[in-house]
Amino acid sequence: MRLSGRAIMSFCIMLVGAGVCINALAWPFKAALFPMIVGIPVFGLALVDFLCAAFERGGKQASGIDFKFSEDVDKKLERKRTAAIFLWTLGFFFFVLLVGFPIAVPLFVLAYLKLQGKESWAVTIITMAITWGVFYALFIWFLNVPFMEGWIQQGLRALNIL
Amino acid sequence: MFDGLIDGLLLVLQWKAFLYLLIGAFIGYWVGILPGIGGATTLALMMPFIYKMTPGEAFPFLMGMHSVVQTTGDITSVLFGVPGEATTVAIILDGHAMAKKGEAGRALGAALMSALIGALIGAAFLAVCIPIVRPLVLSFGSPEMFMVIILGLTCISTLSGHGKRNLLVGLMCAALGFVVSLVGQDQQAGVLRFTFGQLYLWHGVPLIPLVVGLFAIPEIVDLAVRGTAIAGETELGGLGKGVWQGMKDTFKHIFLTVRCSLIGTFIGVMPGLGGAVAQWVAYAHATQGAKTPEERAGFGKGDVRGIIGPGAANSKEGAGLIPTVSFGIPASTSTAVLLGAFFLLGIVPGPDMLTKYLPVTFSLVWTIVIANILVVGVSLLFINRLASMTEIRGTLIIPMLLLLTFIGGYTASNNIGDLIVTLLAGGLGYLMVRFGYPRPPFILGFILGHLAENYFYISTTRYELEWLYRPKVLVILALAVLVALYPFFQQWRLARKEAAHAAQR
Repeated sequence: MRLSGRAIMSFCIMLVGAGVCINALAWPFKAALFPMIVGIPVFGLALVDFLCAAFERGGKQASGIDFKFSEDVDKKLERKRTAAIFLWTLGFFFFVLLVGFPIAVPLFVLAYLKLQGKESWAVTIITMAITWGVFYALFIWFLNVPFMEGWIQQGLRALNIL
Repeated sequence: MFDGLIDGLLLVLQWKAFLYLLIGAFIGYWVGILPGIGGATTLALMMPFIYKMTPGEAFPFLMGMHSVVQTTGDITSVLFGVPGEATTVAIILDGHAMAKKGEAGRALGAALMSALIGALIGAAFLAVCIPIVRPLVLSFGSPEMFMVIILGLTCISTLSGHGKRNLLVGLMCAALGFVVSLVGQDQQAGVLRFTFGQLYLWHGVPLIPLVVGLFAIPEIVDLAVRGTAIAGETELGGLGKGVWQGMKDTFKHIFLTVRCSLIGTFIGVMPGLGGAVAQWVAYAHATQGAKTPEERAGFGKGDVRGIIGPGAANSKEGAGLIPTVSFGIPASTSTAVLLGAFFLLGIVPGPDMLTKYLPVTFSLVWTIVIANILVVGVSLLFINRLASMTEIRGTLIIPMLLLLTFIGGYTASNNIGDLIVTLLAGGLGYLMVRFGYPRPPFILGFILGHLAENYFYISTTRYELEWLYRPKVLVILALAVLVALYPFFQQWRLARKEAAHAAQR
């Protein structure tokens, strides 16, 4: 038996299927019927996939119609870059939470281009200015998208500082 | 009828109406290109502007915008792997794969040309079929709609890839999509299912953040890992030639284009099924054209037929107007907003649209035709510039793509929950691609799950089990069985051919 990433994912899907069925038991028939109809196959199919993934030999893997990640990058470098891009994505999300979109956008572009992209100051500032200009003109001025305030602004407002 | 057609054209060609058409098409062009800002939202935003317009001016404006959104949505999907619209996701699989191989021009040429042909077929269908389609749509009750959804679900067997293992995984992904569609307030008993105490989830997981995250984030991760431009190190050169090649590809596969347009038309006419379903079903149909396992394996990796199929399903925009115009049943959210515009202008959809307002009805047809020709023409003029964006180095383009992904997700309902869904869907999308779980069946299961549950309950409550014996239900069921078995038949035929070849040798 081999606990590959795929086997772990199948196991998690199995748990989801089981969770759906267990939750559905507490609901009235009308609300529970479809979750049961769906939950049982999810559990069963994931169980079969888990067993296939755990006991398969030679790394045979199903591959449906979908794109594949590039395979010509060194594994160690791949892991490092994957972790970096996920951290940047989460970082952007926290930027948005803290200061709201209008401030997070230029800050993120600046930070990414300078720290990750190692771009020159000229390229960084020009790109940041263009991005922010387009963002402001289109989403704030023209479309009037109601962007939420960041936690910092909300906090300052609560303290009557803003 | 012919007089009505000419009057409709003359109505659109009046300078004021034509100017509004141009403005509408211009807005629609950018709405399509920008991820997340849906056509329906923009139509709603434009409603206050039509108060003082005549119907002859308002409809070219609104339809000019509405009819090109899908066409230009394909551009973002192909170039960046970020869906321009929730209805332009299927084209990413092969379109963006081609862009990564340095064939962005060819992919865009095929996408735009097939979308144009699809739009023209949809418009023609709208013109010809309004009187014919009325009895057809009215005869489709909940049981038939449920079976149409089952027919759509059979595409899962095609989208899963060949082999028992792939089918098993595809079915599991589709069922998982169904599970995600269960989130929210159940419409039969009012029970809150898997909402985790969040008001945001009462209406279910929103489609736009889900597709944007699921498809865009894995592409961004791949781009960051490769550390190159989208087109990699590939020499782009001869982009113009690539565009022509893409356009020629559409005509080379003209029967596929027409078939997928008809699929789009059929799904477009059916109220409630939505545009996203049309693209996926058309994509599944395109993959069925593969004659060998090698050919089949090429889908998802840059087969031009994987662009032409979903592109041609653009016909659903015109077809979606048929139930709206002829009896006031909107086929999608966008057409529901358009229906509001009809009432605002004092027009009641129904028989009057085929008599008193026939020129207005035909002006809708002409608007779709003219707006799409103009937009595709303009896009083709700038296509080299658009395609060359795939040459911009990754470090510069990644922050822009993340920004588009976040804003695309956020504008679904302007809620922080949208961003969380986008991120979670991105994580799920990454894991699915990493471990070889196909995303198309998942998204099809998600889109159809909610509809299937509703129609199933309405059918059972209204007809008990008698609905199972309705003739149309049985015909669609037979069709569904045939579609589900077709990939296996293909495999069997192929195996027989190979055995015959081996015996000859």
